[in-house]
Amino acid sequence: MKHSLSAPNCPDLQLTSPEPSDTAFVPSESQACLNILVGEGQVDAIPQGEATIEGFSTDCECVSGKEPSCPPWRVFTSTFITIFLAELGDKTQVSTLLMSAEFHNPWVIFAGASIALITTTLLGVLVGRWLATRLSPKTLDTAAGITLALIAAWLVWDVMRM
Amino acid sequence: MDWHLLGLAFITVFLSELGDKSQLAAIAISGGSKSPRAVFLGATAALLLASFLGVIIGEGTAQILPDRVVKIIAAVGFLVIAVRLLLPQSKESQKDTG
Repeated sequence: MKHSLSAPNCPDLQLTSPEPSDTAFVPSESQACLNILVGEGQVDAIPQGEATIEGFSTDCECVSGKEPSCPPWRVFTSTFITIFLAELGDKTQVSTLLMSAEFHNPWVIFAGASIALITTTLLGVLVGRWLATRLSPKTLDTAAGITLALIAAWLVWDVMRM
Repeated sequence: MDWHLLGLAFITVFLSELGDKSQLAAIAISGGSKSPRAVFLGATAALLLASFLGVIIGEGTAQILPDRVVKIIAAVGFLVIAVRLLLPQSKESQKDTG
Protein backbone atom coordinates (compact mmCIF):
# COMPACT_ATOMS: atom_id res chain seq x y z
CA MET A 1 0.00 0.00 0.00
CA LYS A 2 1.46 3.31 -1.01
CA HIS A 3 1.66 5.76 1.80
CA SER A 4 0.55 8.61 -0.44
CA LEU A 5 -2.87 7.00 -0.60
CA SER A 6 -3.45 7.47 3.08
CA ALA A 7 -4.52 11.08 3.00
CA PRO A 8 -7.21 10.75 0.31
CA ASN A 9 -8.55 7.66 2.04
CA CYS A 10 -8.90 9.36 5.39
CA PRO A 11 -11.72 11.85 5.09
CA ASP A 12 -10.61 13.69 8.19
CA LEU A 13 -7.12 14.30 6.91
CA GLN A 14 -8.24 15.14 3.45
CA LEU A 15 -10.79 17.61 4.71
CA THR A 16 -8.90 19.32 7.36
CA SER A 17 -5.15 19.42 7.03
CA PRO A 18 -4.46 23.07 6.39
CA GLU A 19 -0.97 22.36 5.12
CA PRO A 20 0.51 19.39 3.31
CA SER A 21 3.21 19.22 5.96
CA ASP A 22 0.61 18.17 8.52
CA THR A 23 0.35 14.69 7.10
CA ALA A 24 4.10 14.45 7.01
CA PHE A 25 4.06 15.26 10.71
CA VAL A 26 2.12 12.14 11.58
CA PRO A 27 2.87 9.48 9.00
CA SER A 28 2.34 6.55 11.31
CA GLU A 29 -1.02 7.77 12.55
CA SER A 30 -2.34 8.51 9.10
CA GLN A 31 -1.19 5.07 8.08
CA ALA A 32 -3.06 3.67 11.06
CA CYS A 33 -6.10 5.59 10.00
CA LEU A 34 -5.80 4.15 6.53
CA ASN A 35 -5.54 0.68 7.96
CA ILE A 36 -8.66 1.13 10.04
CA LEU A 37 -10.64 2.41 7.11
CA VAL A 38 -9.30 0.00 4.52
CA GLY A 39 -9.52 -2.85 6.96
CA GLU A 40 -13.23 -2.30 7.11
CA GLY A 41 -13.41 -2.27 3.32
CA GLN A 42 -15.76 0.66 3.54
CA VAL A 43 -13.62 3.59 2.59
CA ASP A 44 -16.11 4.89 0.07
CA ALA A 45 -19.07 4.17 2.29
CA ILE A 46 -17.94 6.57 4.99
CA PRO A 47 -19.70 9.82 4.33
CA GLN A 48 -17.82 13.08 4.49
CA GLY A 49 -20.39 14.34 6.92
CA GLU A 50 -19.36 11.88 9.55
CA ALA A 51 -15.82 13.14 9.44
CA THR A 52 -17.17 16.62 9.97
CA ILE A 53 -19.19 15.55 12.97
CA GLU A 54 -16.20 13.79 14.45
CA GLY A 55 -14.22 16.96 14.05
CA PHE A 56 -16.85 18.76 16.09
CA SER A 57 -15.55 16.92 19.08
CA THR A 58 -12.36 18.20 20.58
CA ASP A 59 -10.35 15.06 20.04
CA CYS A 60 -9.70 13.55 16.65
CA GLU A 61 -8.93 9.91 17.14
CA CYS A 62 -8.18 9.63 13.44
CA VAL A 63 -4.74 11.12 13.94
CA SER A 64 -4.64 10.49 17.66
CA GLY A 65 -5.16 14.07 18.67
CA LYS A 66 -2.03 15.70 17.32
CA GLU A 67 -2.65 19.41 17.04
CA PRO A 68 -2.28 19.87 13.26
CA SER A 69 -4.83 17.11 12.67
CA CYS A 70 -7.43 18.79 14.83
CA PRO A 71 -8.54 21.55 12.52
CA PRO A 72 -8.42 24.76 14.54
CA TRP A 73 -11.18 26.33 12.44
CA ARG A 74 -13.58 23.62 13.53
CA VAL A 75 -12.74 24.20 17.16
CA PHE A 76 -13.14 27.91 16.50
CA THR A 77 -16.51 27.46 14.81
CA SER A 78 -18.05 25.15 17.39
CA THR A 79 -16.80 27.31 20.26
CA PHE A 80 -18.00 30.46 18.54
CA ILE A 81 -21.50 29.19 17.80
CA THR A 82 -22.21 27.66 21.20
CA ILE A 83 -20.85 30.54 23.23
CA PHE A 84 -22.42 33.16 21.00
CA LEU A 85 -25.86 31.59 21.30
CA ALA A 86 -25.42 31.05 25.04
CA GLU A 87 -24.45 34.68 25.58
CA LEU A 88 -27.24 36.23 23.51
CA GLY A 89 -29.67 37.78 25.91
CA ASP A 90 -27.46 36.87 28.84
CA LYS A 91 -26.90 39.25 31.71
CA THR A 92 -23.65 40.57 30.27
CA GLN A 93 -25.36 41.59 27.08
CA VAL A 94 -28.23 43.09 29.04
CA SER A 95 -25.91 45.11 31.28
CA THR A 96 -23.94 46.27 28.23
CA LEU A 97 -27.04 47.54 26.52
CA LEU A 98 -28.39 49.13 29.70
CA MET A 99 -25.14 50.98 30.24
CA SER A 100 -24.95 52.17 26.66
CA ALA A 101 -28.55 53.36 26.87
CA GLU A 102 -27.86 55.20 30.11
CA PHE A 103 -24.58 56.91 29.25
CA HIS A 104 -25.07 57.58 25.54
CA ASN A 105 -21.53 56.56 24.86
CA PRO A 106 -21.87 53.09 23.40
CA TRP A 107 -18.33 52.78 22.03
CA VAL A 108 -16.67 53.36 25.37
CA ILE A 109 -19.04 50.80 26.92
CA PHE A 110 -18.25 48.38 24.12
CA ALA A 111 -14.52 48.92 24.60
CA GLY A 112 -14.76 48.32 28.36
CA ALA A 113 -16.96 45.27 27.93
CA SER A 114 -14.65 43.89 25.23
CA ILE A 115 -11.55 44.16 27.37
CA ALA A 116 -13.40 42.47 30.23
CA LEU A 117 -14.63 39.64 28.02
CA ILE A 118 -11.22 39.07 26.47
CA THR A 119 -9.70 38.97 29.96
CA THR A 120 -12.21 36.50 31.40
CA THR A 121 -11.94 34.25 28.34
CA LEU A 122 -8.15 34.34 28.47
CA LEU A 123 -8.28 33.43 32.16
CA GLY A 124 -10.68 30.60 31.35
CA VAL A 125 -8.48 29.17 28.61
CA LEU A 126 -5.37 29.48 30.78
CA VAL A 127 -7.12 27.64 33.62
CA GLY A 128 -8.20 24.99 31.11
CA ARG A 129 -4.62 24.54 29.88
CA TRP A 130 -3.33 24.44 33.42
CA LEU A 131 -5.83 21.71 34.27
CA ALA A 132 -4.79 19.85 31.14
CA THR A 133 -1.23 19.64 32.45
CA ARG A 134 -2.45 18.34 35.81
CA LEU A 135 -5.08 15.78 34.89
CA SER A 136 -5.02 12.78 32.62
CA PRO A 137 -6.75 13.32 29.26
CA LYS A 138 -9.45 10.85 30.25
CA THR A 139 -10.27 12.58 33.53
CA LEU A 140 -10.16 15.90 31.73
CA ASP A 141 -12.58 14.76 29.02
CA THR A 142 -14.97 13.44 31.65
CA ALA A 143 -14.79 16.63 33.71
CA ALA A 144 -15.20 18.80 30.61
CA GLY A 145 -18.12 16.70 29.42
CA ILE A 146 -19.88 16.95 32.77
CA THR A 147 -19.23 20.71 32.93
CA LEU A 148 -20.65 21.27 29.46
CA ALA A 149 -23.67 19.09 30.23
CA LEU A 150 -24.26 21.18 33.36
CA ILE A 151 -23.98 24.36 31.30
CA ALA A 152 -26.57 22.93 28.91
CA ALA A 153 -28.84 22.22 31.91
CA TRP A 154 -28.19 25.77 33.17
CA LEU A 155 -29.32 27.16 29.83
CA VAL A 156 -32.44 25.03 29.87
CA TRP A 157 -33.12 26.23 33.41
CA ASP A 158 -32.77 29.83 32.17
CA VAL A 159 -35.32 29.13 29.48
CA MET A 160 -37.74 27.57 31.97
CA ARG A 161 -37.60 30.66 34.17
CA MET A 162 -38.17 33.12 31.32
CA MET B 1 -11.97 58.95 26.10
CA ASP B 2 -14.11 58.64 29.17
CA TRP B 3 -11.87 56.51 31.37
CA HIS B 4 -14.34 56.48 34.21
CA LEU B 5 -17.05 55.00 31.99
CA LEU B 6 -14.56 52.57 30.44
CA GLY B 7 -13.60 51.37 33.90
CA LEU B 8 -17.24 51.05 34.93
CA ALA B 9 -18.06 48.94 31.87
CA PHE B 10 -14.96 46.82 32.41
CA ILE B 11 -15.63 46.12 36.08
CA THR B 12 -19.34 45.43 35.57
CA VAL B 13 -18.79 42.98 32.74
CA PHE B 14 -15.68 41.42 34.28
CA LEU B 15 -17.45 40.66 37.55
CA SER B 16 -20.60 39.38 35.88
CA GLU B 17 -18.63 37.13 33.53
CA LEU B 18 -16.26 35.69 36.12
CA GLY B 19 -17.36 32.13 36.72
CA ASP B 20 -20.27 32.48 34.33
CA LYS B 21 -21.32 29.98 31.69
CA SER B 22 -19.05 31.19 28.93
CA GLN B 23 -15.95 31.20 31.11
CA LEU B 24 -16.72 27.71 32.41
CA ALA B 25 -17.28 26.61 28.83
CA ALA B 26 -13.94 28.15 27.84
CA ILE B 27 -12.23 26.21 30.64
CA ALA B 28 -13.96 22.95 29.71
CA ILE B 29 -13.50 23.18 25.94
CA SER B 30 -9.89 24.39 26.07
CA GLY B 31 -8.94 21.74 28.63
CA GLY B 32 -9.99 18.93 26.33
CA SER B 33 -8.90 20.60 23.13
CA LYS B 34 -5.62 20.45 21.28
CA SER B 35 -5.96 23.97 19.96
CA PRO B 36 -6.64 26.28 22.92
CA ARG B 37 -5.85 29.27 20.74
CA ALA B 38 -8.80 28.46 18.50
CA VAL B 39 -11.00 28.07 21.58
CA PHE B 40 -9.83 31.45 22.86
CA LEU B 41 -10.39 33.17 19.52
CA GLY B 42 -13.77 31.52 18.99
CA ALA B 43 -15.01 32.35 22.47
CA THR B 44 -13.70 35.91 22.30
CA ALA B 45 -15.22 36.53 18.87
CA ALA B 46 -18.57 35.18 20.08
CA LEU B 47 -18.56 37.31 23.21
CA LEU B 48 -17.50 40.44 21.36
CA LEU B 49 -20.17 39.95 18.74
CA ALA B 50 -22.81 39.36 21.41
CA SER B 51 -21.89 42.52 23.30
CA PHE B 52 -21.52 44.45 20.03
CA LEU B 53 -25.09 43.49 19.18
CA GLY B 54 -26.09 44.49 22.71
CA VAL B 55 -24.60 47.94 22.18
CA ILE B 56 -25.87 48.43 18.62
CA ILE B 57 -29.32 46.95 18.67
CA GLY B 58 -30.01 47.27 22.36
CA GLU B 59 -33.38 45.94 23.34
CA GLY B 60 -34.02 45.02 19.72
CA THR B 61 -32.12 41.72 19.93
CA ALA B 62 -34.96 40.09 21.83
CA GLN B 63 -37.33 40.87 18.99
CA ILE B 64 -34.99 39.77 16.21
CA LEU B 65 -33.83 36.56 17.82
CA PRO B 66 -36.21 34.71 20.11
CA ASP B 67 -34.24 34.21 23.32
CA ARG B 68 -35.70 30.87 24.23
CA VAL B 69 -35.02 29.26 20.88
CA VAL B 70 -31.46 30.58 20.81
CA LYS B 71 -30.70 29.32 24.32
CA ILE B 72 -32.15 25.91 23.57
CA ILE B 73 -29.97 25.64 20.46
CA ALA B 74 -26.95 26.62 22.55
CA ALA B 75 -27.90 24.03 25.18
CA VAL B 76 -28.09 21.34 22.51
CA GLY B 77 -24.71 22.44 21.14
CA PHE B 78 -23.06 22.15 24.56
CA LEU B 79 -24.76 18.82 25.13
CA VAL B 80 -23.43 17.48 21.83
CA ILE B 81 -19.86 18.43 22.77
CA ALA B 82 -20.41 17.02 26.27
CA VAL B 83 -21.66 13.67 24.98
CA ARG B 84 -18.77 13.43 22.53
CA LEU B 85 -16.30 14.03 25.33
CA LEU B 86 -18.00 11.55 27.64
CA LEU B 87 -18.49 8.73 25.15
CA PRO B 88 -15.26 8.16 23.25
CA GLN B 89 -16.17 4.48 22.85
CA SER B 90 -19.28 5.26 20.86
CA LYS B 91 -17.17 7.03 18.26
CA GLU B 92 -15.08 3.91 17.83
CA SER B 93 -18.14 1.76 17.29
CA GLN B 94 -19.52 4.38 14.94
CA LYS B 95 -16.39 4.01 12.86
CA ASP B 96 -16.55 0.25 12.99
CA THR B 97 -20.05 0.17 11.66
CA GLY B 98 -19.04 2.66 8.99
